[in-house]
Amino acid sequence: METKVKSKALQQFQEAAETLVNPELKKWMEQGGKVMALFCSCGPEEIITAAGMVPFRARGTGSTGTELADAYMASIICSFTRHSLNMGLRGDYDFIEGAVWLNTCDHCRRIYDNWKRKVDTPFVHIMSLPKKTEKPQVAWYRDELVILKEAVEKHLGITITDDKLREAIKTHNETRRLLKQLYELRKRDNPPITGADALAVVVASTAMPRERFNEMLKELLQDLKEVEGIKDYRARLMITGGILDDPNYIKVIEDQGGLVVTDMLCFGTRIFWNDVDEKIGDPLQALAQYYIADRYSCPRMFQDYPRRAALVRDMIRDFKVDAIIGERLLFCDIWTVEHYQLGKEFRPEGIPYMQLDREYILGGIGQMKTRVQAFLETLGR
Amino acid sequence: MTTETEKDKQMRRLAKFIEERDSYEAMAKAFGQSPSGTDKLYAPLTEAYVEQHNAVIRAVENGDPFVASYYGCQPEIYVAMDLPWYTFLTPVFTNAMSPTLPEEIDATESLFGKDFCTAFRVAGYWVEKDLAPLPTAIIAMLHPCDASLAAHQLMQTNEIWRHVPMFGCDPPYWNDERSLDYYANETRLMISFLEEHTGRKLDMDRLREVIEESNKMFKLWIEYNELRRAVPCPHGYGVGLQAFGVAMNILVGDPKGTQWFTDLVEDAEMLVREGTGKVENERVRIFWFDVVSLGLSLDLFPWLEQEYGAVVVMDMFGYTPYTLIDTTSEETMLKGLGKRALCDAPMMRQARGVADNWIGDIRQVVTDYKIDCVVWPGHMGHKDGSANIGMMREVCRELGVPFMNIGMDNFDERYTTTAEIKEMFSRFFDSMGLAKAG
Repeated sequence: METKVKSKALQQFQEAAETLVNPELKKWMEQGGKVMALFCSCGPEEIITAAGMVPFRARGTGSTGTELADAYMASIICSFTRHSLNMGLRGDYDFIEGAVWLNTCDHCRRIYDNWKRKVDTPFVHIMSLPKKTEKPQVAWYRDELVILKEAVEKHLGITITDDKLREAIKTHNETRRLLKQLYELRKRDNPPITGADALAVVVASTAMPRERFNEMLKELLQDLKEVEGIKDYRARLMITGGILDDPNYIKVIEDQGGLVVTDMLCFGTRIFWNDVDEKIGDPLQALAQYYIADRYSCPRMFQDYPRRAALVRDMIRDFKVDAIIGERLLFCDIWTVEHYQLGKEFRPEGIPYMQLDREYILGGIGQMKTRVQAFLETLGR
Repeated sequence: MTTETEKDKQMRRLAKFIEERDSYEAMAKAFGQSPSGTDKLYAPLTEAYVEQHNAVIRAVENGDPFVASYYGCQPEIYVAMDLPWYTFLTPVFTNAMSPTLPEEIDATESLFGKDFCTAFRVAGYWVEKDLAPLPTAIIAMLHPCDASLAAHQLMQTNEIWRHVPMFGCDPPYWNDERSLDYYANETRLMISFLEEHTGRKLDMDRLREVIEESNKMFKLWIEYNELRRAVPCPHGYGVGLQAFGVAMNILVGDPKGTQWFTDLVEDAEMLVREGTGKVENERVRIFWFDVVSLGLSLDLFPWLEQEYGAVVVMDMFGYTPYTLIDTTSEETMLKGLGKRALCDAPMMRQARGVADNWIGDIRQVVTDYKIDCVVWPGHMGHKDGSANIGMMREVCRELGVPFMNIGMDNFDERYTTTAEIKEMFSRFFDSMGLAKAG
């Protein structure tokens, strides 16, 4: 299954998803630009942009082993964590000026502890991310944003003004709106883009200068206007889960005939389905409100399951989803429960739900194909 | 055909609870009949477990409010509100020696990934299978690990449990004043929640009494731990966990708990004065950096003592760098309780925040307790800790003590069998030159 368009922008996005340092990012750095890695989608990328850097969502793309990280972490630690730490230890992340973590989960938060001791990155910082989504948590996170902002200012010897923050919010909101436009196209009976390529676009959005990305995405949207949509699919699927950043994973599913039309992923709707409210006067307040309360949460946020389930329900309706695949990195306690809950909720509504456990680096393709084929057959497709 | 009433359902849900109560009762009787030496400390402990179970059973029978919660959620407040409470994790702890536990663990695999912490997996299974007493309210523990939070998310979609009001205090990642102020505010919200849903009011004077009593316990606990520094160590594995159980679970703010600690200190003092250790020829002093698993208490720990003269001198749950709580005002009490829950209570202290807490504790305990080796059992649910093994190994190397990472399941012997763990210890002691006959 393929996107039937010759688009230079799409090709660049695909390349960006397949590597850490893509040509646009390289160009930026060659011009003296700095890059700051974020290890969670709850990290405030707007502050990084306002500081004049490129916010780069950390990945383990290209990693082939965890031999160095295994000296620091046991084998019950998720493979994303071990691969990304391994890359840090190997020097693959030497291109970044700094990195920001949050206490996202038991695995990721420990990358910070190991990284700050073992990897020579000029700036490292961890933020305390609340586990609830109410007013006191928004206020707490606003303070965390101030602490981060001040730390970045001190490190770079700059001032991040409110105007710069507002400008960054506008730029990132534009990315969000453009990505949403891309997803709108996927609601069609014959979507013009595959799920694998859509994932590549979202991954690219977190890996290059945002203004440049926005220009390129506009080009792609233009290219997709003319394209013949995809017809040769057996079922329309939604993917739910956490840090899935490898388009090849989706490709394996789509090659079996299941067209992925939408998702609830960290490299997916979770990061752009809502905008930061530009009408809130204080930009830090606006960011805190967005990251804690407004955007669709990850299941590590307590008592917010009903809102997540409502999003899935809306998507099933709007994207005409036939079935859901829940992907999970092995050893993730948070997602095993969330997938169990979502399955329990949607199966009785006639939406089959299959949980696929996986390692971060794509492997066991034969087994995965078999499971996806069997799943599609249960749909009678 | 008869319809099961709500009360019938609650009584059915108590079945396992009553079984546990009965087994504790039998133990309490046995200990009470032959109180000698350190064993005499077990009788009041088991009696307290019986009473804690009975309080919940009575609440169910009488339709009175009770709470499901944890030691890390400021149980002093429930005690001050006269609210019976039980630990949501009860299934694996109190069933640790039950022959049916492996079957229950296997049954959970139809619901969750088997890499999900067994403790919360079984607790979640009990929720899904309607096997636990349905409380009036739940105070969820959102720290220190993902599994705890996830297990509470589960309740939101369970047909029965979703109707039970639930609240969780949001845990900050830091230990500073700002964090303690924030947590105190969360605690105020928790109190309002409890008052609203249980109909009980919190009397600050009563809370002061409870805290002052618990302060007495913690003072004695600190004193006791000073005595454990002695060579040979007067007591072995398990006593630290008991101390934790008394102070933070079953006799919170209760003068009976203070008496238990007084007796404990007295016993340890006597042994230290006599120069009597837990084993006759103490050769290895172990820091067991996790909970002392009940399953291993029957076999591994006695074997270590007998075979190698290896004594668990300190463990994560027995280590109590507790700050006593200032009871001068509501503000100081709530902040003090928050500090206890976040920064002092075992596992919360180490696992919730940055890894500095892990490293700091190893450094302190190894130095203070003349430790010969540090063991990280590596329970499969303790992922945040298992992501620290490199740091733990390095600090141990710096301190000149060997470090061992086992990799086990605290509740499922099949994950790594006791025989395998014994083999690991034998190789470890041998290769590190520990436990040579002497």
